[in-house]
Amino acid sequence: MANSSSRVSLEAGEMPVFKTPFNGYAVRFSPFYENRLLVATAQNFGILGNGRLHIIDLNPAGGISELCSFDTADGIYDCAWSESHDSVAVAAVADGSLKLWDAALPPSSNPIRSFHEHAREVHAVDWNPVRRDSFLSASWDDSLKLWTLDRPASIRTFREHSYCVYSAAWSPRHADVFASASGDCTTRVWDVRDPGSSLVIPAHDHEILSCDWNKYDDCFLATASVDKTVRVWDVRASRAPVATLAGHGYAVRRIRFSPHRESLLMSCSYDMTVCVWDYRTEDALLARYDHHTEFAVGVDMSVLVEGLLASTGWDELVYVWQHGTDPRAIS
Amino acid sequence: MAMRDLVTGGAACAVPGSSSSSNPFGALANAILGSTMKAQDLKGLPESRVTVPTASLDLRPEDQFATIPGSEYENQLYQHADSQNSEFLRGFRSASHGSFEDAWGEVHRPPILPRAGVREIEGHFTEFEQIYDGGVNSNIHQIWDGPPQRVLSSYLHYFVNSDRDRTGFRPTALPALGLSESDKRCIRDRSCIMARHIFADKNEQYINEQVSSFLHCLDIDNNHLIRGPMQGPYAELEEYWNNSQTVLRPTVPHPADSWISEFSQQRASGDPEAWAHSFEKQHGANGWVSEFGQEQAQLLSAGQLGGSNLSSIAAMEQTRMLAHTLAQNNDPKFQNSKFLQFVSKMSRGELIVDDNQIKPATETISGDWANEFHMQYDKKPLEEHFSGELFHGANTWVDEFSKQHRQEEVDDQWVTEFSKLHVQDWAEEFGQQVAEGTFGESTTDRWAEAYDDYLDEQLAAKPKSSASSGVYVFSDMNPYVGHANPLKVGQELFRKGLLSEAVLALEAEVLKNPDNAEGWRLLGITHAENDDDQQAIASMMRAQEVDPTNLEVLLALGVSYTNELEQAEALRYLYKWLQNHPKYKPLASPEQSTSLFHADIARLFNEAAQMSPEDADVHIVLGVMYNVSREYDKAIQSFETALKLKPHDYSLWNKLGATQANSVHSEDAILAYQQALDLKPNYVRAWANMGISYANQGLYEESVRYYVRALAMNPKADNAWQYLKISLRFASRTDMLEACDSRNLDLLQKEFPL
Repeated sequence: MANSSSRVSLEAGEMPVFKTPFNGYAVRFSPFYENRLLVATAQNFGILGNGRLHIIDLNPAGGISELCSFDTADGIYDCAWSESHDSVAVAAVADGSLKLWDAALPPSSNPIRSFHEHAREVHAVDWNPVRRDSFLSASWDDSLKLWTLDRPASIRTFREHSYCVYSAAWSPRHADVFASASGDCTTRVWDVRDPGSSLVIPAHDHEILSCDWNKYDDCFLATASVDKTVRVWDVRASRAPVATLAGHGYAVRRIRFSPHRESLLMSCSYDMTVCVWDYRTEDALLARYDHHTEFAVGVDMSVLVEGLLASTGWDELVYVWQHGTDPRAIS
Repeated sequence: MAMRDLVTGGAACAVPGSSSSSNPFGALANAILGSTMKAQDLKGLPESRVTVPTASLDLRPEDQFATIPGSEYENQLYQHADSQNSEFLRGFRSASHGSFEDAWGEVHRPPILPRAGVREIEGHFTEFEQIYDGGVNSNIHQIWDGPPQRVLSSYLHYFVNSDRDRTGFRPTALPALGLSESDKRCIRDRSCIMARHIFADKNEQYINEQVSSFLHCLDIDNNHLIRGPMQGPYAELEEYWNNSQTVLRPTVPHPADSWISEFSQQRASGDPEAWAHSFEKQHGANGWVSEFGQEQAQLLSAGQLGGSNLSSIAAMEQTRMLAHTLAQNNDPKFQNSKFLQFVSKMSRGELIVDDNQIKPATETISGDWANEFHMQYDKKPLEEHFSGELFHGANTWVDEFSKQHRQEEVDDQWVTEFSKLHVQDWAEEFGQQVAEGTFGESTTDRWAEAYDDYLDEQLAAKPKSSASSGVYVFSDMNPYVGHANPLKVGQELFRKGLLSEAVLALEAEVLKNPDNAEGWRLLGITHAENDDDQQAIASMMRAQEVDPTNLEVLLALGVSYTNELEQAEALRYLYKWLQNHPKYKPLASPEQSTSLFHADIARLFNEAAQMSPEDADVHIVLGVMYNVSREYDKAIQSFETALKLKPHDYSLWNKLGATQANSVHSEDAILAYQQALDLKPNYVRAWANMGISYANQGLYEESVRYYVRALAMNPKADNAWQYLKISLRFASRTDMLEACDSRNLDLLQKEFPL
């Protein structure tokens, strides 16, 4: 009766795990509350079916409980918290729409926004952490779109990629700069004030599934690819990667730079593991977490609590744990 | 690119803005939200009845919006960016670069979270308003009208293969249950794109075959598979690609070097279709096209069929490859990955929305050798060949079972009863049979062999008691969950004979209304007709819990337990039927219910039959009871009497057939089954029974065809898989055992058309 339990609240002393009814796709720590997370899920591995966005809280006692959840008529591939409102979140829905919910409003007024411009699946969203009023979406229709809450339509569309765009990441320093990663094997750096991309990096020779900026050095960018590697790039000298991190056994699905340590990265992969790397050291692989039993597709690092990590995967589980401890350990 | 071009034009699958689904989760979420949000309501919105929120600073009037600097810039960019014309961009940039900056700058205001008020605006944002309205109104429930792919798939196979059938295609109306075009598009696109991520190590051909066979199973036009990410007309990217082919490639370990060189060669030759040509060459050029041309002509969609024929070839190859790949990866996580099994099953036609069958194959074979025993038991002439070592095997199983029983602490009447009582019954019976057995030498060994193998397999697979414990096992992914009236849908599907699909709908019903006895009853009946007695019993038990005196339920339980050779249980329920029947109540004295003897009950029912000889039900019960006591001639008489009263009861014809088969009148049985099938063409149990009858007559190859047909309709009929395996051995078709083990219905249907 797997589908009769829609949520599991764990009591004190139980594993810090949250079971989602659908397959996990993304997880994000709230930028406002250290104990709050957002989880995007999709039914049937995102191939066909519904989606659900969960807002979950870590209990002081050690468990995880659900604050609320929102349903969509198609899978949710990615999600992001608003940087300006603590209760607002945006979801990248596989039907090509972007939906925003406000957890502080009653169900009857949610979602507060539904934008439908992308012709195909929206695969990623990222909220601008500097301006805080806008967010980006990356879609399988090869384009990226820039949105604000107060406009009914996108402000801009960025079309240069020649294949699915899988990821978009705002620069943590510059209000107008972002990077995109695409299945056309390139990563592009854009300035929204410019009509076209300012830099094209043919970063991998396979599809690139994710990218993220270094939080301390605004010139460094990491990419994760189907070629199983993570590469770190200096945008000032993008002919060759600064580092290539090999160690995953399958495509690397998501990459995140640490908000606390400059050279620390976290990745997850279709090899079902989550890895933590330091690209400056010789043995770059610091830790490999083997707790998922299906593809691990979502990871995040808490901005508010150093070393607090979260991951989700197609095994319908969300783990939150302190770096260096066993995600499955009893807290 | 070709395929993607097709799809980029259209919107994706769901209705924009209709965000809520009406499944129970949705309802639950709403319920939870409704309560948890109450406190916050007050804080956030003083008047909590938010239908049209006020205060809209955010959405400026339409005309103003149209003149936002940079919006025209956006439009132009929209149209021309793809051309990658640098001159255009240069000129363009100087012309209106500033205006966009204004727009971007303008929107950079202190963020105000809009509380809407869209409806106050008289503008022409009709589309947006629609979306917005749809989104805001969470009462609009979007039902994911679940594609019953499994049924659809079976039917298509059936249809395509029927040209070669001697019987021809039975025009069973294909129900309007199909995947919508957008569903198909979703499945096709997403599986194409995901496969590329997941099978990163594999070559293009492998990926395409993987995807084609999967799509084929869903009858999705797969003539437009993506060939690779780099089909765009971008010289710049081509260059990168070529660079990566020649320079970077060697740095990445890649197992498919031969493919790479081949591919680069073709890229170099500049013929974008080269790959396709080579694929065609490998698959016998257009051979399949002409081969199937005739069939195509008769069919609605030539393109569709063409695709599926090509891919059915690919499917066989691909299944082996996938199995091989999975076997190669020793990581137990991969061996156990539900997703990979999911893909694998999909590629074998067991499909995307499968039930809790997404489990390791060893589990799906499932632990009830009881069924196996039952089956062999039915075959009187053969059951007598069991040797002593089988006895040993049985004991081992008993130990295993009780061990597991202790482990799992299933507090479950049935299990207890079963382990105490019936195993011993069987064992005794076994001994008796063995003792009085008269052996036909040649077949003995093969039977023993087959049975031994089976036992080994079962022991290795650690029998799972849950399936046989009387606990109802729900399907994992049920498209009908959330449907407004699943009972009605279930009844309709049942009536149409789409049993597996009806099961899903009815499960949705009993999940929604666990106290609906009728839902449980019909679910039980459906399982029984779909040849799954364990689930049938479990459903009927639930029905009985809800409505302890429902006559139909009691009768059905009696029959199902009879089928499972559980005499005591069968008698108990048949007696209860009598007790609760308004007419026959006086016949049943309450004290008798504690000690039920077959003879007594039979006497009571005979009395009842004399009381009202026109009541078909009494004759049916009598027939069932005589089956329990193996007085087959009497049973046949009772059923024949009942059939005179109810000539259109297909399940009655099936009962008659089963009884005749048990009493070694297998030829007669086939006639009875044929009657049942004429009345209900999708009666899986009758198809399987037909197979058993042929097997009993030694016509093994013939029996295989019927098992395969039954399985095509319900791949979850585990018993039928076991029967099939045994018949394959007897028919000396061990070459097809692999296909049977891997449950490759495509191959089996092709090999054994009916």
